[in-house]
Amino acid sequence: MPGTAFDVRVDEIDGVVTLRMTGDVNRGAQEPLERAYSGTTGGSVVLDFSDVDYINSTGIAVIVGILAMARAAGREVRAFGLTDHYRQIFQITRIADFMAIYDDENTAVAAG
Amino acid sequence: MTEERIEPTVPADKANWAPHVERLAAGGVNVGGRRLNGPQQGFGPMWQKTYKVRIPGVAPERVISEWKANYGSFWPSHSRFNAPVAGIQPGEVGNIQSMQVLSTGIMVLYTDDTSFSFMTPEGHPFAGWITFSAYDDGGTVGQVQLIIRPSDPLWDLVFLFGFGKGEDMMWQHTLRSLAAHFDIRTEPETNLVKVDKKRLWRNARNITKNSAIGSAIHILGTPVRALRRPS
Repeated sequence: MPGTAFDVRVDEIDGVVTLRMTGDVNRGAQEPLERAYSGTTGGSVVLDFSDVDYINSTGIAVIVGILAMARAAGREVRAFGLTDHYRQIFQITRIADFMAIYDDENTAVAAG
Repeated sequence: MTEERIEPTVPADKANWAPHVERLAAGGVNVGGRRLNGPQQGFGPMWQKTYKVRIPGVAPERVISEWKANYGSFWPSHSRFNAPVAGIQPGEVGNIQSMQVLSTGIMVLYTDDTSFSFMTPEGHPFAGWITFSAYDDGGTVGQVQLIIRPSDPLWDLVFLFGFGKGEDMMWQHTLRSLAAHFDIRTEPETNLVKVDKKRLWRNARNITKNSAIGSAIHILGTPVRALRRPS
């Protein structure tokens, strides 16, 4: 259920940046997620949704903002840890057309 | 060891989202049969446009409830929104008529008590989402946020030559009307951010679905359709 504050942690290994999100991806996620992304440089970006329980339509727009910034910088974005429900939402919103979604972290990181 | 994620049978927010559709079944000219486009399916530079108005003393839930119920009446007189019969509900399609000539529409992507979002079909002037929300920020704020790209090279040109400003004026008018609905006279704030200045040339073919061209063909074909109609 919604109501968990958003947080994000950045891991960077071998040029792959992983943004580990926890809590709800909604309006409150925009500023911390953009700040976390802006603090990274270099190669691919992997979004970890394993500890995300809720995403609303504003949160989808936040994710697309990150996707657009990364693509403008020539950085590939991949994702893992989405529930089946949110995988379907990513298909409805057509984010899945531009961001490969994987079942687990190892596959997502290795895909680059 | 990988922990298996156990999902509830029915996600709590499933009813808030539109079901997946390949193409819109319902809708008028330039809507039925079209696919939905997010901003990454558009062509021109990507913008995040945010318009806000302060509506103190009115709960966010009430703002959204009234906004959904009176959505089209807040628009400027040159544009008309034909709301879905079922109202602003996930998966419903609304038709838009602008300047008497341009026909297009939207699908309701998401709704909850404090927000609702639309997604545009192929051919719409822009590709992306519009989210309408109300929230507390030291008093209630009503907000429209677009995350969009002009859909094709023709719409990109039209945006460059004034349609973008017209878009701003439309949403500012909408927010003024929304505030006035609650007897508040105030001016909206506008914040425009170019998220990605690149044009997505792979999507230039979107022009084949351009709603202005489609509307013009539809209007020119009216006499022919009238002649074919059995008397």
